[in-house]
Amino acid sequence: MESAAFELVGLTKVFGEERAVDGLSLSVPTGSFFGMLGPNGAGKTTSLSMAVGLLRPDEGTARIFGVDVWDEPTKAKALVGVLPDGLGMPERLTGREVLTYLGLLRGLPEDEVRRRTSELLEVLELDHEDEKQVIGYSTGMRKKLGLAVALLHAPRLLVLDEPFEAVDPVSAATIRTILNRFIAGGGSVVMSSHVMALVEQLCDRVAVVADGKVVASGTVSEVQAGGSLEDAFVSLVGASTRGAEGLSWLSA
Amino acid sequence: MALGLTYATSHTLVRMRLSSFRHALKDQNRVSWIGAGAFCGLVLAGGTIWVAARGDNDGLVVALGIWMLGWVVGPLFAGGGDETLKPEYFSMLPLPPRTLSTGLLVAAVAGVAPVISLVALLSLVVAGAQLSVAAALIALPALVLQLFCFILASRLAVAVYGVLLQVRSGAVLAAVVNAFILAFAAQGWALIVAYVSTDVQGTVATAARIAPSGWGLAAVEAAGRGDWLEALLPLVGLVLLAAVMLIAWSALLVRRTTASHMSHKVRRPLSADGPSSAAAAKELRSWTRDLLYGHKAVFAVSYGLFFCMMPLALKATYMLPWAGPAAVIMAGAMASNLYGADGTALWTTLMTPGSAGPDVRARQRAFLLVFGPLTVLITVLFTWWAGDAGAWPLVLSVLPALLGGAAGLIVACSVWAAVPTTDAHKRSGNPLNSGENEGETMGLVYVMLVLVSVSAAPALVAALYWSWWGVPIGLLSGVLAWWYLGRLAINRLEQRGPELLTLLRHGRTVEEAKKKAQYESIPRWKRTLAGFCLGFAAIPLFPQALVPAIFLLTGNADTKSWFLALYVANPLRWLVIAGMAVLGLGMYAYGGLTYYNARKVSPAEAG
Repeated sequence: MESAAFELVGLTKVFGEERAVDGLSLSVPTGSFFGMLGPNGAGKTTSLSMAVGLLRPDEGTARIFGVDVWDEPTKAKALVGVLPDGLGMPERLTGREVLTYLGLLRGLPEDEVRRRTSELLEVLELDHEDEKQVIGYSTGMRKKLGLAVALLHAPRLLVLDEPFEAVDPVSAATIRTILNRFIAGGGSVVMSSHVMALVEQLCDRVAVVADGKVVASGTVSEVQAGGSLEDAFVSLVGASTRGAEGLSWLSA
Repeated sequence: MALGLTYATSHTLVRMRLSSFRHALKDQNRVSWIGAGAFCGLVLAGGTIWVAARGDNDGLVVALGIWMLGWVVGPLFAGGGDETLKPEYFSMLPLPPRTLSTGLLVAAVAGVAPVISLVALLSLVVAGAQLSVAAALIALPALVLQLFCFILASRLAVAVYGVLLQVRSGAVLAAVVNAFILAFAAQGWALIVAYVSTDVQGTVATAARIAPSGWGLAAVEAAGRGDWLEALLPLVGLVLLAAVMLIAWSALLVRRTTASHMSHKVRRPLSADGPSSAAAAKELRSWTRDLLYGHKAVFAVSYGLFFCMMPLALKATYMLPWAGPAAVIMAGAMASNLYGADGTALWTTLMTPGSAGPDVRARQRAFLLVFGPLTVLITVLFTWWAGDAGAWPLVLSVLPALLGGAAGLIVACSVWAAVPTTDAHKRSGNPLNSGENEGETMGLVYVMLVLVSVSAAPALVAALYWSWWGVPIGLLSGVLAWWYLGRLAINRLEQRGPELLTLLRHGRTVEEAKKKAQYESIPRWKRTLAGFCLGFAAIPLFPQALVPAIFLLTGNADTKSWFLALYVANPLRWLVIAGMAVLGLGMYAYGGLTYYNARKVSPAEAG
């Protein structure tokens, strides 16, 4: 059995009465491209936040290359690059400044930071917007900058929450290429999404999350079980016939 | 037909507002803020009615002027006023702008503050009833119109500031104007002394009668004299004023929901070569690029200047040396929510190992760089201008203590008492509105005003007793506060960073849910009592014990104001002061212990 790059062990989070994440466990083998699927509100963002050290779990923990995120946060965070979903950025800085300052804060040497920043901005096509402050960025540009932040310190594990949301097709192709190269170079990626086609195309392993629990996990073909991933997903999280009935006034 | 649409829109908007108010009432934390605010407001409203009942119409017209001033200035402190219903929510609805703004105006009446103002405005009826039945009847439409004018003036002011704050020069201008108005309001209690003892009284009352806030009373008084034309004129004036303000507000709302909020180009990056200079450069950017930061900085400094220069009108220079210290205190209070203001961008610090230390120190450094040299310069120049040799050791002791104290307190307060705000990129077109926690932000500002001032106490005492020896004490206490409070903030950020991010991301609800589970173990009345004790213990302790004690010690017993101790005979005074102090401390102790015990009990309950 391969050693795990990323392990989520019994993560639980309770908001008030609601168990947003309920004893969620996952293991991501080193070198795999892991897709986390789930309907809206399934607890993907919450569990990933807990797993990387952004949200303290009520129970359970997570390990990055064997390092416990909640016991040795500093050591664990040095090993991972994270793209969270829906969080802010230092709004008053330009993209280049964000990368420069965060690189320096990670203790990278100055010229190295400058080189990496320029390359990342160029590859992600953020360089011609050099004068723009982050507050003026579009949602897609924010995602790309977030990805650049995650890649900056050359981690061995990437945890990406909805990396393709609102990104244009050209940039999405670029990001796919970057991620495939990252995997080919021995890195591991965990990505949440609800775009089936993308997950089917990119990932070798998937987990389906519903109501804060893992309802299926394994290689893509295991979870597909002969059909398409979309069919498997719909049957796992509960099929819905809604949308076919009612709303008659809409066509009147 | 247009009227029908306006009515239907208003009706729906009022329902929306009441629904969200009902939801707010489910949140214990919000309830205590609303309750405390409503209590203070009702006390003030009661005071206004009492002035009217005494038949002191000059006093009443001034009081009403202060109410209006509060409506106009309040939102500046409270983050853009109540915006439960943001105009942006409705920008896609096919509604004419004036229908929407009328609807929003009507919905704005359905709130706590308007109800309290309505109570205060009942003073018009009270004043009218003393004159004649007709005057009391005229007071009814007058008070409704007056209330609408208050609310409209408030909304219009927010909209105007909003436009101003989108350009740098506008932000500066708005800051200076606000600072002037607030300094004027704060010097009020000193001015009231002057007002009572000199003939300024008549002038102020005349001025307050000319201001729109006095038109309602003018109508009532004219009706009392039976002068119907003069009774009608101010009412027509109020209607016209309201109409003009409504039209202006509608126009600005259209602008707000359709204009883009593009930021301007930036200059070259500040160079940085390591973790701490990178953090410092990152923080300094905020002060120079974010108009709200700039606005706060200009506001704090101009407030200090105005506050201490106003007595110059009475040829008194004794306040001048204190302009610098006053600016630092205000600056500290304005910078008390640094992490809240940056919002969820905190994740970048959390995910960068070892960056909590540089980040906290950078925030302190940026604060000191922005305010340090400037306030030192102001202090030196103004003390020299005042020409009072005795003031030198005092201000030079207090200033470093305040700068260090403020630098330490802002980061500690930002980490411990962060108030969640809406993330910058999700904000509405109102630059003053940073979230839905106006009350909390405002409370924090007041607490910080007190805390930052207190941080200079050792230096001040030392300077009073040993003159120049205060300077090293001030320097020492400043450095200590900067270092130690910064250290505390760093530790807290390192250990409880994720909790802070959760708070900024999801607001109070998650934490509250946990706390609620803890406090549910104590009976409800006990919780309410403990909350009341914590909320109001400051009243007996500070204004009723500490302030009169200082007055007695410094031999200033002329100003009795509402300090109970100064109204009784001499030997009893200290007894009253001691009693008040014990009462205040006892209330703090009871409230604190109740909560502390609840915390101890809860793990057992949970397990």
